[in-house]
Amino acid sequence: MVAENLSFARALVTTNLKAAVALRGAFVIQVVFMALNNFTFFVFWWALMGHVTTLRGWRIGDIQLLFGMVAAAFGLTVTVAGGVRRLGRFIEDGALDTLLTQPKPVLVHALGMHAQPSGAGDFISGLIFIVWSGQISWRATPFVVAVIVACTLILIACGVVFFSLAFWLGRVESVATQLWELLVTFSLYPEPLFGGTLRLVLFTVLPAGFVGYLPVRILHAPSLANVAILLLVAMAYLCLAVLVFDYGLRRYASGSRFTTFG
Amino acid sequence: MIATQLAKYAAFSRIAASQARRERNELYGRMAFFAVILGVFSSLWRAVEEAGMPVAADPKSLVWYLAATEWILLSAPPIHIEIQEAIRRGDVVYRLGHPVSYVVAELAAGLGLLAVRAPFLGLTAFFCAFAFTGWIPPLTALFIVVPFGFAASAVITALYLGIGLLAFWLQDVAPVYWVWQKLMFVLGGLMLPLELYPAFVRRAAVFTPFPSLLAAPASFVLGTNLVTPGALAGRLAFWSGVTACAVSWIFRRAASTVTINGG
Repeated sequence: MVAENLSFARALVTTNLKAAVALRGAFVIQVVFMALNNFTFFVFWWALMGHVTTLRGWRIGDIQLLFGMVAAAFGLTVTVAGGVRRLGRFIEDGALDTLLTQPKPVLVHALGMHAQPSGAGDFISGLIFIVWSGQISWRATPFVVAVIVACTLILIACGVVFFSLAFWLGRVESVATQLWELLVTFSLYPEPLFGGTLRLVLFTVLPAGFVGYLPVRILHAPSLANVAILLLVAMAYLCLAVLVFDYGLRRYASGSRFTTFG
Repeated sequence: MIATQLAKYAAFSRIAASQARRERNELYGRMAFFAVILGVFSSLWRAVEEAGMPVAADPKSLVWYLAATEWILLSAPPIHIEIQEAIRRGDVVYRLGHPVSYVVAELAAGLGLLAVRAPFLGLTAFFCAFAFTGWIPPLTALFIVVPFGFAASAVITALYLGIGLLAFWLQDVAPVYWVWQKLMFVLGGLMLPLELYPAFVRRAAVFTPFPSLLAAPASFVLGTNLVTPGALAGRLAFWSGVTACAVSWIFRRAASTVTINGG
């Protein structure tokens, strides 16, 4: 069952990527501009850390590593599961009808439907930031891969939960989008900036702690046990997301759609 | 004659404003995002203060500076998205035949949205900045920031309109928007005052509209007053004129090359 779903997801992603790359000019522009976008954003940190050497123990290299991790995971998310950001609209518009009649899992299908070419720009610039941080040795490469995959799964899971609120609350697309962006925003800033109750929130409701802070700690001192913990956390969030979506799907009202599909 | 024309466009503004008042989810989302950003940056500036402030300003006024720049930027409605979609779907063709200018009507609608967003986001900025700092800048500074900030948001809205019109050639204007947004971020001094950037960035910024739209109005809360109110009014008027000419030229070029198929 899982193997079948994975194989279907792989086929979906491949098809979507082929479709995106087919428009070569648009694809290249989106990738290059997104990478430029990330480097321009980081000018803020270069300018600030040019005046201040450390921020509560964090140096520019640590921030580059954090930014690279989150950018790579975000890029992978919108490339392999680009549909996550449209899930709210699918539910709201009754557009899941077409997927419900297919013999494949609705959630996997909905997630894999819209690969975003700009994700490749995020992914590539993320990898450049990770290498540039100077904090990762070649031997730690498998840990980097595992941690990026775990962060990607958590981002997808959170997206599914936030956008699935549309099953109960109706038009929540903008609110869900903002929640998801808040998660990414919090992930991009150094961990010591946040304390108290907010810290609890950042490791539960908005798990920026698992998307950014814990991965950076793991990559500073790589260990199999820590990676296993992060992957378990990612699986837990993913299970929660599937449960929420399946539960919501029972409340789904058809949009009576008649469209061609394929 | 002029009054009739103005009344037509005022109607576009009123309709957009009433729609924005009804569909407030996006606005609430922006308000929450705004509050979080101010919270994050108040923590950041406290951390920077511990390490030694690199600029002659205290963390409290820097949080207010960010509140002002973000208020200006977030208040401007991202009308380029709707314009891009109208062009991609071909809906724009039906609008071209109407007895109103498409560009002015879109700008009027954008200003209607701005009129609803700016007060909500302004109150969010004020209360959150006060909550995070426990301090309020001199009222005279705030009285200068508000009108200039609103005018700057209007110019940003017009710039979004120009970006949206590029969809006649590009189909997807997102990459242009990203770069424009980040130029605003750096050259406009969105999060950091311009004096913290290297000299070449500051020199480059002078030749762009970005400092006049963000850093200059917000500098009044820092007390650094990059320009006098009179000079800022002159610069905003100049960049408004440049934006109007550019948008008008883009639209004329687009309308002259558009091909209409079908009925």
